[in-house]
Amino acid sequence: MSRRLLMCAGFAIGVSVAAPAAAGPLDHPGYPKAFSCSACHGFAGNSRSDAMPILAGQHAGYLKKALQDYAGGKRPSAEMEPYAKMAIELGVDDVASYFASQTRMPTASAIDRAAAERGKAASAVCAACHGPTGKGDAAKDMPDITGQPVGFLKNQLLLFKADKRSPGDAALMQPKAIIKGLPDDTLADLAAYYASQR
Amino acid sequence: MGVTRRTFIRTFTTGLALGATGALTGCAASMRGDFMPKAGKRVVVIGGGWGGATAAKYVRLGDPSIDVVMLEPNKQFISCPFSNLVLSGLRSLDSLTMGYDGLRKQGVKIVHAEAGAIEPDTKRVRVGEGYLQYDRLIVSPGIEFQWEQVEGLPAAKDRVLHAWKAGPQTVELAKQIQSMADGGVFVLTVPPIAYRCPPGPYERICQVAWYLKQNKPKSKVIVLDANQNIVSKTALFRAAWQAYPNIEYRPSSKIVKVDVGTREVATEIGDKVKYDVLNLIPPQRAGSIAVQSDLVGVDKRWCEVDHVTYESAKAKDVHVIGDSTIGLPVPKSGNIANAMGKISASAVVALLNGRPAPQMPPGNTCYSWVSDREAIAVVNSYRIASGKVVQIEQKLTPAQAVSVAQNAVGWAQSIWADVLS
Ligand SMILES: Cc1cc2nc3c(=O)[nH]c(=O)nc-3n(C[C@H](O)[C@H](O)[C@H](O)COP(=O)(O)OP(=O)(O)OC[C@H]3O[C@@H](n4cnc5c(N)ncnc54)[C@H](O)[C@@H]3O)c2cc1C
Ligand code: HEC
Ligand code: HEC
Repeated sequence: MSRRLLMCAGFAIGVSVAAPAAAGPLDHPGYPKAFSCSACHGFAGNSRSDAMPILAGQHAGYLKKALQDYAGGKRPSAEMEPYAKMAIELGVDDVASYFASQTRMPTASAIDRAAAERGKAASAVCAACHGPTGKGDAAKDMPDITGQPVGFLKNQLLLFKADKRSPGDAALMQPKAIIKGLPDDTLADLAAYYASQR
Repeated sequence: MGVTRRTFIRTFTTGLALGATGALTGCAASMRGDFMPKAGKRVVVIGGGWGGATAAKYVRLGDPSIDVVMLEPNKQFISCPFSNLVLSGLRSLDSLTMGYDGLRKQGVKIVHAEAGAIEPDTKRVRVGEGYLQYDRLIVSPGIEFQWEQVEGLPAAKDRVLHAWKAGPQTVELAKQIQSMADGGVFVLTVPPIAYRCPPGPYERICQVAWYLKQNKPKSKVIVLDANQNIVSKTALFRAAWQAYPNIEYRPSSKIVKVDVGTREVATEIGDKVKYDVLNLIPPQRAGSIAVQSDLVGVDKRWCEVDHVTYESAKAKDVHVIGDSTIGLPVPKSGNIANAMGKISASAVVALLNGRPAPQMPPGNTCYSWVSDREAIAVVNSYRIASGKVVQIEQKLTPAQAVSVAQNAVGWAQSIWADVLS
């Protein structure tokens, strides 16, 4: 028997492993409704890219509110509107609870330490609503912004500043007024700070 | 050397855990009979592209007790999405080339060989001189070209580039564009629908036109489109082309003949067009294995499937996904192939465990780069109604934008990881 054939035979015997099927990441009732989101938001909502927000570990109430805002066209996003409508049709509570129950893996994108330090110093005005480190408040639909990608956070702050995120929304006038008063560089620093928080 | 059977198995299994493939590849040459006897439940996947690699991974995630064997002749995965940027010099093919180690870590067994035939009656896939047994088979062989549709093409198919399967042809086409003289004519032909990636040819036109505008201002791009109009994102592409007066677009110009001697193509309506560099994207059908194994419908081109399980309309326990399918209101895209990979994996896991397959409608986003920094996108979401996939909504980005290009990069990073790691 040649060595090659031997290897094939050895392999054939080596494959007979039968592990019991434990509850896995696909067993959540929200998975069949949320599986297509990972094309952008990463496996189980843990986006590894700089542009796409992490959904894993986000407060369920906030996720639901965000999806309703996209679906209704209140928070404009060409990418999100059709997906939000789909999530609502399939069952928004299951989708929200699926992502809320996943463990957040903080962003993999590079964070400028000096910028994060400056951001920390500038973050006092945000803490009143977002909490001391940015964990938010589940009861008030206040998002957890810790460990989100720098690019995503910065982009959202610029959208707030230009009143392009939920334009004209009375409930967001206060944070938008604060953000409008800050230079873009400070917004970039704040993005770095919250991205670095755990 | 006296290797006992037991020590050998241990060494070999360790090698496998480390992701060594040399041995498996070596086997391909001497695959005879039932070369990997099945113990327990097994899913065989044909093709390690967008659909197949995703399906293989997600079957393992869904039920790690299922043995998954994936057949794929190529040692590496090369992404078609973003490959048009290689033609404009904005990306290297290396940056689009990825390995299969992530799948091996999920416990997928990869055999770098081509499936020769499918035998649904005996539940076997022929490989080389041997075969593999399966309980369920997932087939994602992509597309094959219908060379015979263009006179002169079968004889010249090694010289006339399609670059429609990212790889050496992509690099070669980029070289030809770079070495074309200023004033030279680049001709691109768009096949009739249905073909892989509806917006792909128009993104390519933007990229080549952008490159020529910067580097060879006297050159032009002539587009011979077999279709009556731009097939996808029509208004957005028209708007983008305003920046490229070097594009000459001719709709309803199906090409029927190529002459590599006189460097000329001829259209159905009798126009003859001279080229310096030709990119002929031929008409397409499902991957050859699907045609040879009679999984295609009466059109002899594409495969009809159940919209919930992706089981073939023609063969039991055989599921077809990706570009090879037809009948769903979805485009032939990597995003859809990835979604179908996950859906078919869930269906197969459920069915092998005696449960009904869950209803999982897909979603799709196709980003297209219209310059070196701006992109556009079309987004579709779907529902399942009475067992059929139907569209909920289609939405376009309002205009081309840098922010859309940033999201395109985010999409690519996320979805490559979803397919491969
Ligand atoms: C230029 C271009 C740009 C594109 N851009 C985008 C984009 O931006 N977004 C998007 O979503 N899609 C895009 N696409 C489309 C996308 O690439 C395809 O839709 C996708 O690859 C389809 O996946 P698939 O699994 O059906 O086929 P493939 O990814 O082609 O995989 C098929 C695999 O099967 C293997 N195979 C074939 N026959 C056998 C056999 N007998 N045995 C074993 N293996 C076999 C092949 O080697 C191949 O690896 C683009 C395509 C092109 C050409
Ligand atoms: C094509 C890419 C893409 C897909 C697929 C996608 N999203 Fe998004 N998503 C985005 C982008 C981009 C944003 C940021 C949009 C903005 O500027 O508000 C976003 C934002 C969100 C947000 C708001 C996050 C926050 O912190 O404010 C939620 C919630 C969300 N998506 C849920 C989903 C769900 C659920 C799905 C699947 C049903 C999904 N997305 C599919 C691209 C995508
Ligand atoms: C008055 C309360 C308030 C203050 C002060 C405030 N925010 Fe917010 N912020 C909110 C609310 C409410 C939202 C959620 C908006 C929504 O529902 O769309 C939000 C959303 C955000 C988001 C988007 C998160 C996501 O996941 O989409 C970011 C980033 C953010 N805030 C950063 C900041 C920063 C930085 C500051 C300080 C400069 C700040 N906020 C100050 C109330 C506040």
